[in-house]
Amino acid sequence: MVAILEKGRLRDFDWLLTLLAAAIAAFGTWMIYYAQPDQGYWKKQLIGLGISLVVMLTVAFTDYRKLVHIAPAFYIFGLLLLVVVLVPRIGLKINGQRCWIGVPGLGQFQPSEFMKIPTVLMLARYFGRPRHSTLTIKETIMGCAILALPVGLIMLEPDAGQSITYFPLLAVVLFLSSVRMWLVIAALVLGTASVPAAWYAGVKTGAIKPYQQERINVILDPENADRRGFGYHTWQSILTVGKGGLTGSATKGDASQSKLKFLPEPHTDFIFSVTAENTGFIGCVLLLLAYAVLLTKLIHGARRAPDRTGMLVIMAIVGGLAFQIFINVGMALGMLPVIGVPLPLMSAGLSAILSTSVAIGFAISIRLRRFVN
Amino acid sequence: MKFEDETQNLKVRVAVIHGLVLAILVVLGARLYFLQVISGGYYAERAENQRVRRLRIPAPRGAIFDRTGKLLVDSRSTYNIVLSGEDMKGKDWNELVAPLSEGLDADPGLLRERLNEASHQAAFEEVTVKEGATPADISWVEAHTLELPMLLVREQPQRRYPSNGTLAHVLGYVGEISPEQLKQPRFKDPEVNPFVKDNPYHSGDIIGQEGLESTYDRYLRGRDGYREVEVDSRGRIQRDLAVVAPQPGQDLVTTIDLDLQLTAEEQLRNSPNKRGVIIVIEPQSGELLAMASYPTYDPNLFSQRISTPEGRREANALLRDPTTPLFNRAIRGRYPPGSTWKIPMAVAGLQQGAITLKNSHLVCGGGIQIGNKFTRCMGHHGSPELHTAIRVSCDGYFYRLGLKMGLDGIMQMVDEFDLNKKTGVDLPHELVSWTPSREFKARFNPHDAEWKDIDTVYASFGQVYDFVTPLAMLRAQAAIANGGRLYVPHLLKEAKPVSAVGPFAARPRQTFDHPDPKLLDIPADQHQLVVGGMWAVVNEPGGTGGAARVQGFDVAGKTGTAQVVGLGKDTGKNKDHSWFVSYAPAFKPEIAMIALIENVGFGGKFAAPAVHNIYQSYLSRAHPELAPRPATAEVARKQ
Repeated sequence: MVAILEKGRLRDFDWLLTLLAAAIAAFGTWMIYYAQPDQGYWKKQLIGLGISLVVMLTVAFTDYRKLVHIAPAFYIFGLLLLVVVLVPRIGLKINGQRCWIGVPGLGQFQPSEFMKIPTVLMLARYFGRPRHSTLTIKETIMGCAILALPVGLIMLEPDAGQSITYFPLLAVVLFLSSVRMWLVIAALVLGTASVPAAWYAGVKTGAIKPYQQERINVILDPENADRRGFGYHTWQSILTVGKGGLTGSATKGDASQSKLKFLPEPHTDFIFSVTAENTGFIGCVLLLLAYAVLLTKLIHGARRAPDRTGMLVIMAIVGGLAFQIFINVGMALGMLPVIGVPLPLMSAGLSAILSTSVAIGFAISIRLRRFVN
Repeated sequence: MKFEDETQNLKVRVAVIHGLVLAILVVLGARLYFLQVISGGYYAERAENQRVRRLRIPAPRGAIFDRTGKLLVDSRSTYNIVLSGEDMKGKDWNELVAPLSEGLDADPGLLRERLNEASHQAAFEEVTVKEGATPADISWVEAHTLELPMLLVREQPQRRYPSNGTLAHVLGYVGEISPEQLKQPRFKDPEVNPFVKDNPYHSGDIIGQEGLESTYDRYLRGRDGYREVEVDSRGRIQRDLAVVAPQPGQDLVTTIDLDLQLTAEEQLRNSPNKRGVIIVIEPQSGELLAMASYPTYDPNLFSQRISTPEGRREANALLRDPTTPLFNRAIRGRYPPGSTWKIPMAVAGLQQGAITLKNSHLVCGGGIQIGNKFTRCMGHHGSPELHTAIRVSCDGYFYRLGLKMGLDGIMQMVDEFDLNKKTGVDLPHELVSWTPSREFKARFNPHDAEWKDIDTVYASFGQVYDFVTPLAMLRAQAAIANGGRLYVPHLLKEAKPVSAVGPFAARPRQTFDHPDPKLLDIPADQHQLVVGGMWAVVNEPGGTGGAARVQGFDVAGKTGTAQVVGLGKDTGKNKDHSWFVSYAPAFKPEIAMIALIENVGFGGKFAAPAVHNIYQSYLSRAHPELAPRPATAEVARKQ
């Protein structure tokens, strides 16, 4: 730890990134307060923010290469936790999902949230060796295997929302590991084409259940969908966002959609809707800009990473964060079906903010060592 | 890149990811712009609508009083359980039947019927599931707000009528406005009913359906207020946003004198068949002091119990009852007037010159021979003048008077006394009397359609071609009593003013919009002669109406015995109707009345004593000095 006090290190430390992340998280805490002023979520989130800053700095001043080196140990430990969480009485079942492990005195934490870090490190470790050729099938299979273990365990909880957030990690790593361009394009075209086909086939064969159809219908045509049934969440979120208007309605907090419980899960999944209601278009655009700057700074750091491994770690983190932002905000804006994915740095939840902080800590650590080889 | 890896286009690939990330954020921003900036107002309104609800505060309906301020009808609070249509969109109505019928102890069949009806209504707001909810029902609803948020408890003022049927036909009753009524111009078109502009009707409203409740619904109905509340997603009230207090309806003061009304009803109740009608009027104004029709019914049945299966059975039984209790005999019963018809005949005979003051003699002859048919008189009166003919009710005299006047003369009389028109009383569903005319005979007896002299004979003594409503006959008689002013009989004395409440403007006092009386040309000497005859009916020896005599009070009157079937068969339930029409004091009338007792026989025997008792009741309050004191012997017996 003496090393971190070296002058050079402090000069290279990415203060802006740290401040930006902390600012977004503080803003998120404020919004959590708006969402549930009577509950203690915003206080917990404040404590979480404090812990996260400490953890972020600790990770940032640790040499990421050492951590990548022992990544398999983290990975196996994470898998163990994912198994443990499935054990009844240890794993807590909330809303039909067994995702949490209770920690006496601290509350509960979500292993699937933390498992993203070892998964990223494992992928970066495996794909981080200097490349001289295009991606081989063996490599692809290995990458899929690294991903499949945690995703499979998470699906057993079952937590579909968390598990899909793992896929962009692999996708980014493969994309940056010389997967042939025509394969990428072919996959994109096929994927795009297969969505309507799969939808049609699913509806015809009954594989897509009526309530799932309703969730899609409400996105395609919110005015005529079942707004009181399965389309309720999406419709209420659209109303809440729209109500915010240009400047928001923070002063009329008493009548807010979340206070009257029209908006479900306002402090977690729908924190963006709360932000939209209270700060309006201006607040939302500033938030999206903050994310844009944050992600751009991360990518900037990846470009200057001392090695492939570091670059892959940061880019996988970028992919994961961007994907989560897209899924969460897209859901809040009624563009995507309801999937329980937290908004990075904004949604209430100790596990989410901690794992995001660890990820950003890695990015800072990698940048700190850009001149060291 | 720090490390050399140019062979794989790594820089480009990183740039692609960067571009993708920024593109995603731009797309989200564009969607935000659409939702918040372009459509923000629309969504804000939608959010506002689901947050704010208006709960109706029903306005108390005006009470109804008699002319002395005695309460006849008022309202008390009850609670209804209603189903709000707002919460029913896209839900299966039938699924509610089982839990509701169980939880609220309601008949499932009836419930299904109500829900079915409501679900097919386009502009449906709410449907009543149960009336008169008990405290247990209310707490059941409150305990199930989560599963059944569409259930609401509504305070509903409940009308209270005298349960023994007193004044039922006059007061009428209230009931929920029907979907058909909502479409009628009188309930929605301001051109037809200007009151709907200020106070529109909505489905579920309780309105007057019969009697004065219906005629003066516009005065009695208050203006509903509302409570604007903020609700959460479960419909639970968070706080009040605004309260607009309701404006109560205007109280009605009727012209009815409750004591006279009760006396009149008592007379009918005590009559042999308990069927008949008594109407009392103030001849100088047309104000109705009493209007009793028997048998009667309990209006509370229609305002409260009608929605229950028992209530429906009860109402059906009333509808099928051969004695027609629902029927207001005063304005809807058409009866042959019998000899009461002779009074307007006498007035018209004098007016038209068929008889004169100097020579009013006509032959009785014990009857009259027309062709091969002899129509007899009840006695042999020689050749009486008008005074005697009225006093003894000589049929022979009026056969010949009718023949002298001819059908056209009789029709002229009918027209003069408005006997072929509605009286214009302020009650719904009044019928027009049937009166003699060639068209009426052609319709009445198509096999022998031509009008003959024998028909004129019949028409001249109140049989066969004469079917008048008791009110129309009383109105004519009252005009004769007051010297020729044909007033519109009415029940409204005033609708009391109501002061302004919140946004609702004050409502001014209202009175019956009397049209001026129709003036009849009855010269004073002719008037004197006819009234003298009627006075003699009651007060001279040989008069047919002696039973109506009141000591010290100059009662004038005329009996009538209306044939229901031909002579000889007039026994049992086909007995003649007994009439008595009367006013007093004869030459300065302040009260007039008509009594009809159905199927009992001679007018002097049943109707006249009933009239006598009503005069007694009137005198004891209007002229206590004239009221008969109990005889000394009677006083002694009581002690």
